[in-house]
Amino acid sequence: MHESPDEHALERILGKNEEMAEHNSDHFQRSKTCVFNLMSAPGAGKTSLLEATLRSTKKQFTSAVIEGDMVGDLDADRIKALNVPVYQISTGRSCHLDAQMVGRLLHAESIVATQALFIENVGNLVCPAEFPLGEFRRVVLLSVTEGDDKPIKYPVIFRNCDLVVFTKCDLLEYVNFDLSAAEKNLKALNPKLKTMRVSSKTGDGIYEWINWLNSQMTEYQAQLKNEHHVHHAAH
Amino acid sequence: MHEATIAQSILNIVTDRLKSVGVAACALSVEIVLGEFRNVDPESLSFAFDSMKDFCPATSNCRLDINVINASALCSENAHNYRPVAELAYRCPACDGGIAKMVHGEELDVVNLIIEVADEEKKHARIAG
Ligand SMILES: Nc1nc2c(ncn2[C@@H]2O[C@H](COP(=O)(O)OP(=O)(O)O)[C@@H](O)[C@H]2O)c(=O)[nH]1
Ligand SMILES: [Mg+2]
Ligand SMILES: [Zn+2]
Repeated sequence: MHESPDEHALERILGKNEEMAEHNSDHFQRSKTCVFNLMSAPGAGKTSLLEATLRSTKKQFTSAVIEGDMVGDLDADRIKALNVPVYQISTGRSCHLDAQMVGRLLHAESIVATQALFIENVGNLVCPAEFPLGEFRRVVLLSVTEGDDKPIKYPVIFRNCDLVVFTKCDLLEYVNFDLSAAEKNLKALNPKLKTMRVSSKTGDGIYEWINWLNSQMTEYQAQLKNEHHVHHAAH
Repeated sequence: MHEATIAQSILNIVTDRLKSVGVAACALSVEIVLGEFRNVDPESLSFAFDSMKDFCPATSNCRLDINVINASALCSENAHNYRPVAELAYRCPACDGGIAKMVHGEELDVVNLIIEVADEEKKHARIAG
C-alpha cells in the first residue's frame, strides 16, 4: 500500500505485519475467499451496511464475517441473527485489527468455505490504515453526519483504500455535507479511488454497492485463474 | 493509539539484530525515518519507546532518533513536484492537480542501528543499511 520505502532502509518497521498479511492473502487465495476490509469511524454504519448486504445477497454468494471490536460482541450478535457465520475478535486495548489476529482464523471452517469474507475493523480512522490484514479490497465508510472535512483530517486512510462509501445519505437534507467537495478532495488524495452513496436505512445505493462487490469478486476470481495459468506455464 | 505497537516493533527489530551479532551486545541508538503521510505521531512514539525500552537491559540505554520526512508528490496534471498539505487539500499549488505519485512521505523504516559489543575493548559497531 505505502509507495515510498526509504532506499537506505535496514528494515521496515511494520514489516512483520506486512509479511503476515501476505501469508493470510495466500491462504485466502487457496480457498478462493475474496476479502473486504471495512473501516470507518465508530458508528459510521459498518454493521448496518453489512446487515443490508447480507440480507440481499444470500442468493448471489456465500458470506462470512469477522467482527473486530475492542470489547463486547453486540455486532456479532446482529450478524448471527441473519444466519451468517460470524467470528468475533476482541482486540482489548488495541485500536485496530492486525494480520496476526486475523491469521488465527485462517482455518476456521466457514472462512475456508465462504466466497466473500467481510472484516469489520475496529471503529477508528487512524490505526487500521497502518495494518493490512491480507484483504483484496479496502473500503472506508464515511457517514454524512461526520462532516465533509474528514478526508482532509485523515488523509492516510483515504489515500490507502479502494472505495469510499458515503453512508446515511438519507440524512443529507439535515446536515451540511458537501458531497461533491468531499468527492473532489478524495480524488485529489487518490486518483484511482471510487466513491458511492448509500443509505442502509432506505436501501438507496445498496444495489450499486452490491454490484461493486460482485464486480470485485469476479475480478478476484479472474486474477486467481491467471495466476494459476502463469504458475502452470512456468513448469 | 498504535504508537506502542510501533515502538514494540522497533524494539523487536533491535533485539533481533543484537541476537544476530552472536556475542553479548547492547544498543546505543536506533535511527528511523518517518514519513509525514503515515499515521504516526513522533512525540507519542518517543514516549512509548522510552517507557518500553527498560524492559530489556540490552535496549535500556538505546536512544531513538526520528527523522521526519516531508511529503513530496508528483501532481496528476503536470507531474509538478510539490508538498501536499492539508491547507490546500493536498493539491498542487501550481495547477490544483491531485497526488498521482507519492515520492516521499510514506516511509516507516529503521535505517541505522549503533550497538556496543561487550568485550574488553568496548568496540563500537555500526550495523549499516
Ligand atoms: N439514518 C440512518 N442511520 C443509520 C444508517 N446506517 C446506520 N445508521 C445508524 O447509525 C448508528 C451506528 O450504526 P452501526 O451500523 O452500528 O455503525 P458501526 O459502528 O460503524 O458498525 C446506528 O444507530 C444505526 O441505526 C443509515 O443509513 N441511515
Ligand atoms: Mg459495528
Ligand atoms: Zn501541478
